[in-house]
Amino acid sequence: MGDILKLVGQRLGFGLGILLVISLIIFFMVELLPGDMAQAVLGQGATEENLAALRREMGLDRPALVRYFDWLGGAIFFDFGSSAITGERVSAVIGQRFMNTLFLAAYAAVIAVPIAITLGVLVALLRNTLFDRVANVATLTSISSPEFFLGYILILFFAVKWGMFPSIASLSSGMDFGELLYRTFLPALTLVLVVVAHMMRMTRAAIINLLASPYIEMARLKGVPPWRVIVRHALPNAWAPIINVVALNLAYLITGVVLVEVVFVYPGIGQALVDAVSKRDFPVVQACCLIFAATFILLNLAADVGSILTNPRLRHPK
Amino acid sequence: MSAFVIIYYAILLAVSCLAAYFNQRTIFLAAFSLTLVSFVLGIVGGVPALRFVAISAVVLGAAAMISFAFREFLIVLAPKELAKELRTAPLTAAFGMFVIFTYAVAAILAPWIAPYGEAQVVTSAFAPPDSNFLLGADQLGRDMFSRLVYGTRNSVGLALTATTAAFILGASAGLLAATKGGWLDQILGRIADVIMSIPSLIFALLMLSIFGPSVTVIICAVAIIYAPRVFRLTRAVAGNVVVMDYIEAAKLRGEGTFYLIRREILPNSTAPLIAEYGLEFCFVFLLVAGLSFLGLGIQPPTADWGSMVRENATLISFGEITPLIPAAAIALLTVGVNFVVDWMLFRSSGLKEQ
Repeated sequence: MGDILKLVGQRLGFGLGILLVISLIIFFMVELLPGDMAQAVLGQGATEENLAALRREMGLDRPALVRYFDWLGGAIFFDFGSSAITGERVSAVIGQRFMNTLFLAAYAAVIAVPIAITLGVLVALLRNTLFDRVANVATLTSISSPEFFLGYILILFFAVKWGMFPSIASLSSGMDFGELLYRTFLPALTLVLVVVAHMMRMTRAAIINLLASPYIEMARLKGVPPWRVIVRHALPNAWAPIINVVALNLAYLITGVVLVEVVFVYPGIGQALVDAVSKRDFPVVQACCLIFAATFILLNLAADVGSILTNPRLRHPK
Repeated sequence: MSAFVIIYYAILLAVSCLAAYFNQRTIFLAAFSLTLVSFVLGIVGGVPALRFVAISAVVLGAAAMISFAFREFLIVLAPKELAKELRTAPLTAAFGMFVIFTYAVAAILAPWIAPYGEAQVVTSAFAPPDSNFLLGADQLGRDMFSRLVYGTRNSVGLALTATTAAFILGASAGLLAATKGGWLDQILGRIADVIMSIPSLIFALLMLSIFGPSVTVIICAVAIIYAPRVFRLTRAVAGNVVVMDYIEAAKLRGEGTFYLIRREILPNSTAPLIAEYGLEFCFVFLLVAGLSFLGLGIQPPTADWGSMVRENATLISFGEITPLIPAAAIALLTVGVNFVVDWMLFRSSGLKEQ
């Protein structure tokens, strides 16, 4: 048990290290601005006094390294300073939105994961049949379509033509859970379509890879019935790749959500990021980027740790 | 029962019977299960549902026929070696090649194909389609069809340039890392690790917010974001070649690194690199389309598919499909490239999946 903890600890340390480097990149890239943040906010026509005042207010008169540690220290406690445009606390702006985004991603994941894995295994077992080929073309098409294409098609049919679901996912505080699920159904469905396609293909590849291994051949040759080959021989070894597939796709979900949020005007963190980018509100951009990167790394880490835990062979690297 | 429904079932049954008679098992299964599904669909959805099925079948059939003809066309034109390869191409790959060919023609001949200029205001805003304006007009009264044709040039051109930049950066770094090894390899590998652990869209948004949306920034951003993937692949492929005996021989001959890369390693690792280029193009194209959909790509009035979707998005709530057309153009090209890449990967891996 001790060596598992050590391995997991190692991975966690590695993830934290990468996150630290990324925070450095995110922070110091803004320093690369022609001029500085105050100049970017006020524009070219700003007077020297105004610039100096804003710099003092934003703390830009201190050296960059001091500001970085200040920012990082705050970020650990979800405090990212205040917006350069409105002066609001960034955490107040994006806190609720982050929850909304997580809700949307979780909603999509709950629908997508079981469907994708079932279909992926099914397609792998029926490989090279007509069903497999149709599934291949369908998933390839779904992967190749931009999220906004799928989103607008769903809006056109489900919202405009048939009037079954609202096209704009507006949320208000007093909604009960069923209403919430109903309102966010279309954005969730868009994400489901993309993610299911990705996951199906990856599951199929993983299972086919597994079925080609010698011990499966051995089991078949000694006359084990097909269902027992799958349940006893293939499945225990399939957990690692499947966990990997799920975690990687959840990581994909977190970023794929940006475009979908814009299409459905969903009050999530992706929309906040896009707004902040076009307004050049750097504290918000930095905060959103850090949150997205952290979630992404965390999920990739989960994929790593999950495959270590389910595959004893990885615990003893040669 | 309308005439349409009768003809519909007659054709389906005829196809199933013919397929069964000529021992075409797959076609028979497909046709007859479609007949059975149609019974249920017809009861639930009525004639419109059947009409939808019929239209999709006709579209699919037309696409299959075009792909088949295009493949034969290529086989006739291609030199002998290539023709042999092309014969093994599935219809989907032929369809992909046809799509790429069409887009290339549209991009090169844009000024002659498009009836109006890309930024020319020719009619009233949101004018419906008629004989002069095939797809209607956009929010400023510019011809949708002309903008779509010019968009091929701008959107695909930008994505191609960006992919090429990413590819040159990543491939040269990968080749260097594989041939030099040692600390250079380590450093480049760590840099790639860091870049790949930032989600691509987020990284692109960060860079665009700092340097402002312009074509140069987009190309640089994409090059930085996608180079690590190419780097990893090139390093892995070249790593397998570097340990070969003929490389050792060349080294003993006293050849320099540049000669090794250009004359020995590169020719032996082109096949997977070409497939990777296609794959990479799809990713980049979707990313750039996403950026311009967010209003951060090519700036107006230049015609660009992503921003055309955004500008006309309000039409969706009136049940118009205008904003879907440029989006479909994006999807069609990506699908086409993916089909071709799928075939190339299958061929180069030699993997026969049992």
